[in-house]
Amino acid sequence: MPMGPRPPIIRFDHASFGFPGVTALEDITLSVEAGEFVGVIGPNGSGKTTLCRAVLGLLAPIKGQLHIFDCACQELRCHHRAKIGYLPQKGVVDRDFPVTVFETVMMGRYGALGLFRRPGAEDRRIALESLALVAMERYKDTALGHLSGGQQQRVFIARALAQQPKVLLLDEPTTGLDLPMQHNVIELIQHLHETLGLTVLLITHDINMIRSRVDRLVLLKTRLHAAGPPADVLKPNILEQVYGKGLVISDKDLVIVEDYHHSH
Amino acid sequence: MSRTIIIPTERHEPIDLMLELFAYDFMQRSLLAAAMVGGLCSLIGVFVVLRGLAFVGAGTSHAAFAGVTLGYLIGWPPLLLAVAFGVATVWITGWLEEQGRMKLDVSIGILYTATMALAIVFIGLMKTYNAEVYGYLFGSVLSVTGEELFLIGGLAALVLGLLIAFWKELLFIAFDQEMAEASGVPARRLFFLLLTLVALTVVVSLKTVGAILVFAMILIPASTAYQLTHSLTALTLYSVIIGTATALTGVVVSTVWDIPSGPSIVLLATAVFFFSLVISPKRLRISSGRLR
Repeated sequence: MPMGPRPPIIRFDHASFGFPGVTALEDITLSVEAGEFVGVIGPNGSGKTTLCRAVLGLLAPIKGQLHIFDCACQELRCHHRAKIGYLPQKGVVDRDFPVTVFETVMMGRYGALGLFRRPGAEDRRIALESLALVAMERYKDTALGHLSGGQQQRVFIARALAQQPKVLLLDEPTTGLDLPMQHNVIELIQHLHETLGLTVLLITHDINMIRSRVDRLVLLKTRLHAAGPPADVLKPNILEQVYGKGLVISDKDLVIVEDYHHSH
Repeated sequence: MSRTIIIPTERHEPIDLMLELFAYDFMQRSLLAAAMVGGLCSLIGVFVVLRGLAFVGAGTSHAAFAGVTLGYLIGWPPLLLAVAFGVATVWITGWLEEQGRMKLDVSIGILYTATMALAIVFIGLMKTYNAEVYGYLFGSVLSVTGEELFLIGGLAALVLGLLIAFWKELLFIAFDQEMAEASGVPARRLFFLLLTLVALTVVVSLKTVGAILVFAMILIPASTAYQLTHSLTALTLYSVIIGTATALTGVVVSTVWDIPSGPSIVLLATAVFFFSLVISPKRLRISSGRLR
């Protein structure tokens, strides 16, 4: 049976974001539909993390409109935010922070629980299920700091899943991981998207890793330069507008964008 | 600093002397005050250590002392002005950090020295020497009055109640504040609540350990417990036990050997901290990892 159009979950309407004197994102018009897998690419400083903060409701537009779950960004309440599972850029986890894997995942329940309520049996069940989804349940009593970088990312994804989100927002989830672990994490994200029907917004520098997995790619450099199926976006002439000439080498299906952020 | 205690001069066995001391009202008040302050400081210290707010405690205690000196200068309740100065300082530093204008340690460093300068000005403006002011600077737990004990108890109960009520959220913001905010926890407001609780704890503790040393009471027990465990529950428990035990022992040592109470408590806590470094399973883990 043909599927009808899916409702937009996130809707930017000529939205600009920034601070006094600095525009980080300008005139963005973009819709993300329920159940879509969208990759967001662009060089450093292109506004990817600003887009992330905007979707989380942490940043209101200075111009235009942003609607999340049909709710204006400025009116976004805590219970709305709890519907967005967020994996921040990989920071340094204090190896000695006294928290176990299970306690870390349980934190994902706190937003939905609200103030003054303690986690109950149902919350513990959801946290354990989330750990099982990322195949980390056997580490539940392990100190978080004792895990490898890839395992920690899995735990943080489980924490996002414990929110029982409608949207999974991932900010460079593979940064700092070795190649097999990068594949491992991206495969896990795709698996979660397919099995749970989650809307996924994945911010990354690794175009080749995600090009065959996402429904759409969004190319940013302060403005929205392109949005559409990967084959339509990953064209040398389009990429050159954003990454600059000489940086893009096209070899049939493989697009190599040289290590732009390290060259700056 | 006024020392009002006279220990009997006849020879006693130490245990007899201690039992005799415990019969005095002033000693009972001192021990109760020390237990409350030691327990409370070490509890809030868990969040101070985990959230990296160590310098905030130091800055707040000096700001609160400026409030005390102003209180004595103009004849207002000193602890009320200590609360006002302490809370204002942490809110200003928190606001500056949130606005991205200044890092927390820079703004607290500026306010720390500025409020201490204010305190010196206020002391200079006083016409006469006031021993009570110096009691707040160096701590004089043995001279805590019944009224002060009630005030300490009331503030301690308030701080403890709020800590318990917001325990899970405070833990989340200590671990990752942005993530907590993104997950739907009102992290920003709770961060300011945490700063306020730190300021209130400092004020509660001023009379007992003094403005200079109160920061150590917040930082040392939690830092000691941090060396000993990977479990948050155990860390909290160890911190409170260490904080309360060193405060009580410090008061007894201070009385028996007639040395100032604040330094006795802090030096004991510091000794326990260095011992924890030696026996820390974390240190042993690192060492064995290097050997491999």
